[in-house]
This record gives sequence, C-alpha cells and structure tokens, in this order.
Amino acid sequence: MRVLLDVLPHPIKRFALLTVPLGLAGCEGGLSALAPAGPVAADIAWLWWAMLAGATLLTLLVVVLLVLAFGPPRAVSDRRWTHGLGLWFSLGILTSVLIAGLWVGERILPRDDGAVEVEAHAYQWGWRFTQPGADGPVETDGVLHIPANRPVDVLVTTEDVIHAFWVPRLAGKIDAIPGRINRLRLQADVPGTLSGTCAEFCGIGHAGMRFEVIVHADEDWPDALAAATGGADE
Amino acid sequence: MSEAKFVPEIAPNPPQRALALHRQLDRVWANGPGLWGQITAVNHTTLGLRFMGTALIFFAIGGILAMLIRAQLATPQGAFLDTDLYNQFFTMHGSIMMFLFAIPMLEGLAIYMLPKILGTRDMAFPRLTALGYWCYLFGGLILLIALFAGVAPRDGWFMYTPLSSATYSPGINADVWLLGITFVEISAICAAVEITVTILRQRAPGMKLTQMPLLAWYMLGTSAMMLVGFPPLILGSILLEVERAFDWPFFDVARGGDPLLWQHLFWLFGHPEVYIIFLPAAGVLSTIIPVLCRTTIVGYGAIVAAIVALVFLSFGLWVHHMFTVGIPHMALAFFSAASVLVAVPTAVQVFAWIGTMWKGQPQLRLPMLHVLGFFLTFVMGGLTGVMLAIVPFNWQAHDTAFVTAHLHYVLIGGFVFPMMAAATYWMPQITGRAPIKGLGAAAFWVILIGFHGTFFIMHLTGLMGMPRRIDVYPANPEWTWLNLTSSIFGFVMTIGFALFALDLILQALMGRRTARNPWRAPTLEWAMLLPTPSYTFASLPLPQQQDAQARLTLARGEGALPGAARGVRELLVTDAGTARPDHVAVLPGNSALPLGLAAAIGLFVLMMLAGLYWLTLPALALVAALVWRWGRGMAFTRDHAPVTVAPGLDLPVQCHTPMTLSHTGAVCLLVANGTLFASLLFGVGFLSVVAPGWPAPPPGHGGVAEAWMIGATLVALVFGAFAVRLADRARRSGAGMLAGAGAGAGFVSNLVALALIAWLAGTALDDPTGHARDALRGVLAGYVGLHAFIVTGFAAFAFDQARRGEIAPSRPGSLPGWRLWQDYTAATALIAAAIVLWQGGAA
Amino acid sequence: MKLLAWTLAGPTIWAIVFSLVYALHGAGCALGWQDVEAPLGSAHRLALTLAWSAGLVACGMLLAVRPAGEGREAYLPRAGAWIGLGATLFTLFPVVFASTC
Repeated sequence: MRVLLDVLPHPIKRFALLTVPLGLAGCEGGLSALAPAGPVAADIAWLWWAMLAGATLLTLLVVVLLVLAFGPPRAVSDRRWTHGLGLWFSLGILTSVLIAGLWVGERILPRDDGAVEVEAHAYQWGWRFTQPGADGPVETDGVLHIPANRPVDVLVTTEDVIHAFWVPRLAGKIDAIPGRINRLRLQADVPGTLSGTCAEFCGIGHAGMRFEVIVHADEDWPDALAAATGGADE
Repeated sequence: MSEAKFVPEIAPNPPQRALALHRQLDRVWANGPGLWGQITAVNHTTLGLRFMGTALIFFAIGGILAMLIRAQLATPQGAFLDTDLYNQFFTMHGSIMMFLFAIPMLEGLAIYMLPKILGTRDMAFPRLTALGYWCYLFGGLILLIALFAGVAPRDGWFMYTPLSSATYSPGINADVWLLGITFVEISAICAAVEITVTILRQRAPGMKLTQMPLLAWYMLGTSAMMLVGFPPLILGSILLEVERAFDWPFFDVARGGDPLLWQHLFWLFGHPEVYIIFLPAAGVLSTIIPVLCRTTIVGYGAIVAAIVALVFLSFGLWVHHMFTVGIPHMALAFFSAASVLVAVPTAVQVFAWIGTMWKGQPQLRLPMLHVLGFFLTFVMGGLTGVMLAIVPFNWQAHDTAFVTAHLHYVLIGGFVFPMMAAATYWMPQITGRAPIKGLGAAAFWVILIGFHGTFFIMHLTGLMGMPRRIDVYPANPEWTWLNLTSSIFGFVMTIGFALFALDLILQALMGRRTARNPWRAPTLEWAMLLPTPSYTFASLPLPQQQDAQARLTLARGEGALPGAARGVRELLVTDAGTARPDHVAVLPGNSALPLGLAAAIGLFVLMMLAGLYWLTLPALALVAALVWRWGRGMAFTRDHAPVTVAPGLDLPVQCHTPMTLSHTGAVCLLVANGTLFASLLFGVGFLSVVAPGWPAPPPGHGGVAEAWMIGATLVALVFGAFAVRLADRARRSGAGMLAGAGAGAGFVSNLVALALIAWLAGTALDDPTGHARDALRGVLAGYVGLHAFIVTGFAAFAFDQARRGEIAPSRPGSLPGWRLWQDYTAATALIAAAIVLWQGGAA
Repeated sequence: MKLLAWTLAGPTIWAIVFSLVYALHGAGCALGWQDVEAPLGSAHRLALTLAWSAGLVACGMLLAVRPAGEGREAYLPRAGAWIGLGATLFTLFPVVFASTC
C-alpha cells in the first residue's frame, strides 16, 4: 500500500484507496494491477493513470465538440478539422504516449545484472517452480518463493499448451510457449504473500490455475526458502 | 491532366413510358415465382437483404450465448453452466459475432447498396453472390448444429494451438471451427472479388473515382483488405486441419513446427479484420452525417487518404495481439508505433465528421441518435485501444476483462451503432415504409445504457486482475459486484436489442408509405422506386443524372442503356479510372447452380469432418464438374452486334472485348491466391529461421533424379503457357483448328505436369509427418498440384470451346482466363521448386 | 487507375520496408548478428538502420517525382506519399534505440 501511495500523484491516491481495499481478500491486494507491490508494476500503474487522465480529457473534448455542433450552421475550415485536429493534434498526443511507453518498456526489461533466477514450469493445470537454494535448486508446487527488494527473473516454460505467468501486483504477464524459454523481470518491495494466475486460456482447468508468490525479506534469503520448503533435504 | 477529354459527352436517350419500361425490365430481372424462385435468385437486392437478415439471426444467437455467459459470471461460483459448455459458449459467441454476424452483415450491406449508389443494375457476378450466400449459410449451419449437439469448438475464437491440436482437443470440436469457418470464408472471398470489380468497373459513366460516394471508397478499401486479409487465416486453418487430420507437424514444436506460426497467421488476418468491420461502418457514417446535417462532408480528400492509410497500416499491427509471447522489445516497438499511428487516420475521420456537424445543422432524428451513440462509444474504445498499443500496459491488460471491454467498445461502437444508424436510415428505402415514432428512440436509450453499464466497469474488472475466459472466481470476491453489475446491464442491453428488432419488424409490416426521399439525400439509391425494383434503374445515370433528383428522368429511360429490349440482363461496364463506357455486359440469369456448388463444397466439408477422407475425392470431382457447368453457362456461342447505349454510342458486348468483368475478377482472385501463397512462403521462412527444432534432419530422398523430375514439371507448366499463347495467336488469325490444337497441347502438357507432381509426392518426398520441413514441402507440392489440376481444366475447357466453335477471331472465349492462371501456376511452381530444392540441398 | 497507383505507391513502400525490417530483425536475432561488431553498435542495428534509411529515401524521392496539379487528383498522390514517409518514419524509428534481441 505504501508503495502505491508513493508512486501516485495526489489526486489519484484517493481513488486508488477506494479500489484497493476491495482487493484485500485472500492474498494481500488480490490480483489487482492497480495495487502495485514492486517497481515494475508501479511503473506500469503510473502509465495507466496518466493515460486514463489523458483519455478522459479527450473524451470530454469530443463530447463538448459534439454538443456545440448542435447549433446554427457555421463556416468551417476543412483543413482545420482534418489536418489541424485530425492529423497534428492527434499525432502530437500519440507521439508522447508512444515515447513514454517505449521508455517504460526499456526500463523494465530484464537485463544482465545478476538478478535472482527462478523457473516457472506450467502444465495443465498447475505450476511447478524452481528456486535457487543454498544447496542447489529447490522445487515447489504452486508456490513461488522470491526475495524482496532484488530483481528476479522468472524463466517461464510449459509442459503442454500455452499458458501465461501473471502476478499483477509485481509485473505484466508473459506467455509460456512450447519449445521456448521466456524471461520476465519482476521485483517485490516488501515481504508478503501475493497471488498469481494463468492468464492465457488453456482448457478446462484454466480458471483454477492459480499460484502464490511468497516474498521473503532480502536478508533472510535463501535461508527463508529452505525453512519454508522444509529444509535443504529436498 | 484533364480527364474530361476521355469521357465523351453522352447524349440522353429519348423519354419513353416509364410503366412499359418497368414491365419489360422486371420480366427479365425478377426472381422466379415461389420457393424455387428464391432458391435460384441471384439478384443483389434479394441476396443483400438475405445476407443481412441471416446475419441478424446469428447476432441474436450470439447474443443469447453472451447472456448465458453473463449469467454464469454473475456470481463467483456460478453453477449455471459446466466448464466445458461455458468454453463452447464463449468460443461460439466470438466466432458467431465475428464470422457469422459482422462480416456477412457488411457483405450484405455492400451487396445491397453498391449497385444502387454506383448507378448500375447488379453486382458483377450475380451467381457468385448467391454462391457466397449459400456457403455462408451452410458453414453457419454446421457450426450451429455442432453447438446444439454439444460438440462446438471450445478453444477460444482464436483457436490457439497446441490447445486446438489433436492431442489436447480430441474430438471434432476444433475441426468444426476450422472447416466450418473456412467454408464461410469462401463467401468472404466471393464478396471481396465482386465488390472490388463492381466498384472499379461498374460506376455510372463519367463517375470518376474521385467523385464517387465515400461509401464506395470505404467498400473498395474493405474489399481490398478482405482479398489480402482472409488468405492468411484460410492458409492457417488448412494447415491446422491437415495437422489434426493427417499429423503433418506445422505447429508441433517437437517436430520442427511452431505454435507461434498459427498466432502470426491468425492475427495477420485478425487485426485487419477489425478494420474490415470498421470501414463499412465508417462509410455509413460518412454517408448519413452530411445528409442529417443538411450539408456536404468536410474533407472528402482527407477521408479518402485516411482510408488508404487505414487499409495499409492495419496490416502492420497484428503483433500487438502477441506482445506477451516473448518477442524482443525492438520488434514490439515497431508494432506498438504502428498501432498508435493507426489512430491518426481514425482521428482524421472522427474530426471530419464532427466538423461536418459544425458546418451543417444536425437534426436529432433517430439515425442521428445512433451516430451519437457511435461517437461516445467508439471514441472511448479507440482510446483504450491506444492504451493497449503501449507495450508495458499491454503486458498487464492483455487477456483480461479490460481487453474484453475494449473490443466490445470498438466493435459495438464502431460497427453495431453505425449499423443501427444505417438500418434506421435505409429502412424506408428497403421497405418503402416510414418508421413508427417512439419505439426506435426507446430502443436506442436502453441499448446505450445497457451497453455502457455492462462494459464500462469491465475495464476495472480487468485491471483488478480478472482474466478472460474463466467461469468461476471463488478466490476473488472483490470481482463479484463488478461482474454482477455487468450481468444486470447486459440483460438491459439485450432488452434494448429486442426492442430495436421489434421496431424494424413493425416498420416493415405496419409503417405508412414513406416519402420518396425522406432524408432529402443526394445519393442514387433514392433515385428509384421504393422498395427497389429488381433491375434498380430503368436507365443508367449519365453524368448530369447522378443525383437522387434524376429519379423520373431515369425511370423514363433517358439515361444509358434503357430497358431490356433484347430480353437479357444488361449493364454498362466502364473503365476503372475515368468511368469511360467500355462495353455492355450480359449477366447470367436466375440459377440453381450456386446452391448446387455450395452443396457439393458442403459435402466435401462434411466428409472431412466425418474423417471419411477418401470420400472427399468424389465430392471434389462433383465440385469440379459443377465449376465446369458454371463456365459453360457463360460461354458465348455466336457473335453479338454492338448495343446502342445512348444516341451515337454503340458498345460491344463483353465476348468481344479483352477487359471483361471476369478478367478483372480473375485478377482479384489471383491477388487473394497470391497472398495465400505468400503466407505459405512466410510460414516456410518463419519455421526455418525462428522455430526451435531446426535445422531439419537430412532428407531421406532427393538428389539428382528428384531434381530432374521437378525440372520436367516446370518445363511442362511453362510449355502450357506457350500453348495458350499459341492458341490465342491462331485464334486471332482465324485458324480455329490450330487454336484447338494449341489448347490440346496445353492440356496434355498440364496433365503431364500433374502426373509428375503426383509421382513426386508419392515417391520422392519424405514422409510429411516426420518434420515440419517435409510437411511444408508436401504442402508446396499440393499447392502446385492443385494449380496444375486447375490449368488442366482450363485447357480442357478451351479445347472443348474450340471444338464447339466458340473461340473465334473476334471472341477469345476462355483463353484470356486460362492464360492468367497458367502464368500464375508456372510462376508459383518455379518458386515452390526453388524452395524444395534449396531445402533439399541445404540439408 | 493511374491515380490509384500514385496514391498507393507511398503506403506500398512503407509496407515493403516494414516487412523487410521486421524480417531482418527476426533473421538477425536468429542468426546472432547482434553479437557482430559494426558501426552503430552491432551488425544487426546497422542492417536495420540501413533498411530504414533506404525506405525514407524512397519515400522522399516519391514526394519529389509525384505528379503536380490541383484538386483531389493531385491531393491523393501527395497524401499517399506523405503517408508513406510519415508511417516509415514513425513506425520504424525504434531501430535506432530499442533493445534488439
């Protein structure tokens, strides 16, 4: 919650506060992309609120222009409408949105910076995770363990059909494609438990293909992983 | 460059008695009596309405499915449907609304409106119109029967493999989709070909491209997109069906395939599809808005430029449906930029329309209400579309209810509201009756409130994490009130649509007679009797008559080509750029052949579905025989005297000219065919460069003997191209025997090519189930083989025509068509051979 | 038809260059060009930038040679050429900065 409030401009905070408590059942914050719990999701949420504000203004502009149209006939300049508003005005707005999007996109890409690497293996219908423990890889079913405050790269693979790995409070989603290993960068700010789900339709069991992400304090990692999964004897 | 000198002044014909002309024309153009008359009808007014009526029935069925989906989602633990049924319902809802409602609806609109606004009497290929309708109906029925039998497709309307593969979707559910939808797409290709030809070649004399009604520009853009947009999906469906039926591994990653190839092919169609649906609706708006504002459109040129931009740009967006599959950021950036840029031509149009409203005096009549509904809804949908084009946001919103909300804003805002505006605007033209006051406006408000109540908060539902296509959400009670609200308003919207349908039915049955041109519109569809007579115009509008006010002049036969004195269906064909009169086309009359051909194709589809693969061969033979009959139906057996179109203007009949409607149509069809081939080449390139599982294992067959056989096939096909030229030259110089000999030689060489390909496929190619490389080689061989079969048929047809004396110095008969196809076949065979040899050599 | 051909020329150039750059991008990533040293960083980025520049030049030349005149007959070819140039510029500018593979 604090993270959310930190990144948002003031007027939006109040609206966010209205929506977030709805998502507090189950895991903290549920699956809401509007309640980011890490810098990647926060960047995207920021982008969303900015675009929402812009879209609201543009919708209002169109509505006002339409209302004003219901008057007596006026002499209009064709070029002002088609080239002025249609071409240059929209092109200006769209260019700024695109640049913001590409900038955020580059910022949140995985890069070679010694991030913790975990593996997420999807199957019909569940998730198997592999985390780097103190004494080698630790496998878990349906629960992913990660440290807080450190970049984590999830390597996503699938056993059968296409699935998608999504923890909305941490980052966007990435598909699990047969024959490919996809990499997703995420990072959690504070320890806690978060929800994840399969986002790509994968058959009868799609709705139930959930998982949990347990975020451990950075200083406890990787001991906390061993403790949580029953020690290094696995 | 002054084009006026190319269009000679055409003097009007002397006036005649309108009633006598009407009787004479109606005898020739009318449908037959009774049910048989309906079955054999090929008239564009009949078929356009039938397309739209059938589409509305499918809309109702798709809507009922949507209500079942909403009922299930109203509570977190909905026990209303089981998951399998739920999956079938959302798959069918999407498939029906896209393929059985939206596309046929716009085809119907184009088929109904184009001849009327362009000033001609029918579409270019009336029997093709009917064939398209029957393919649509039968394909749709196959899907519906599967739905009622509980074996409907259930893998989502974009059928991602491997979920839709034989391993993970056993049973015929997925086959029903692949075969049924491909069957329906035949109608899309038919419509695209004839819409293009009709707009380019049948405009009233002197109606330059730059003067034609904007709706025609929009439809031209739409049909061009359909010609290029549908083939990738048709190819994808064929490949996936072949993989399911015969285990050829195009998408199986273990054997050199790649499931992403399906996604590329599907969205190469799927995104242009959105604009294929939007453009006709925008055309309606560009037509209606100026009329209802008592003015002319702002920025005709800018709007045409926007259409051109949309047609092209919309083919550069498809990857934005694949932002989460793991494509590098630079490639995503290209498609993100293109997806953002496509909003510019859309904005140009939106502001041109608003500017038009400023320029004129908008009247708040019923169609205008729907236009306003369009503005509000579509602008919001467009803005969320821009958001989804932004890569990082897309990573969050993709595959959630946010996307569901966005696409409904775009499709209902950008298609359904304009179509409702169109319906309320043109109902008087269609039925000759005026609307009943009150009910239509009530329907509008209920739909508007219901729609926004359903979908507005669905954006929030998606951002709060609800994925698409889930049937229960017990762990997320925070979504309950959102979903319940959507469900309640969904039912409100349904009530609105029911009211709208009721309004149309009451107007058709009980409305009083309408004024002749109730909106005082300028376009030509109002320059005729209401409801439309079978022949549309008693005489075709000359340059000074291309306005709704020319109604009486045209009815009295003062335009071009009045009446039907020769007892056949005639219309004027003009030149594509300047609309200079070129020749008179005689169209085929009522016929049951379209129904028969569609039934034969249906038989093939059913045999495929039943897994009786050997029985598909007799079905294909039946198809070939009926196609032959089709061609025979248009063969001219004797010379025809020139027809007097207007005083001092005598034009030849089509059998004496090279640039016929059929020729333009064949070129359009080859453009679509070439796109299919190019998509196949894309598949070859994509798999061999990008797919894991390559390079392929060394081929077991191949070598010098194989290369010689391939070379011999090419020689045979190229010889066919010489043979057709030889036959044509002999025909010109009056050597009928020699022309027949040329056709015979072409037939033999094509037959040799066909036999060689069969032999190659049977003995020299590796087992296609082993690796995608061998499967692709098999498909290339099959593609060339099919074309060798087609040109063999062309040669045989020409030989038969020569034997009957139908090929004469002044009449080329089927030779030009054969030549086009023979050249195309030789060219694609050359490319296919190069690939097969390269893949053999590379390994 | 001449009018259509001139109008469609610009967008067609865009379509060709867009497909070419996308294909080069895919092929380059698959064949490892991003690891080959070259001006602009890597052989991959160099190839993409060259293809993009060629497209811009082609559109610019089209603007220079398009038929002159007035009215819709001249507006559409002019608009087509600008659409080609604008679309090539706008959709492919990421070649100079975005992460390649």
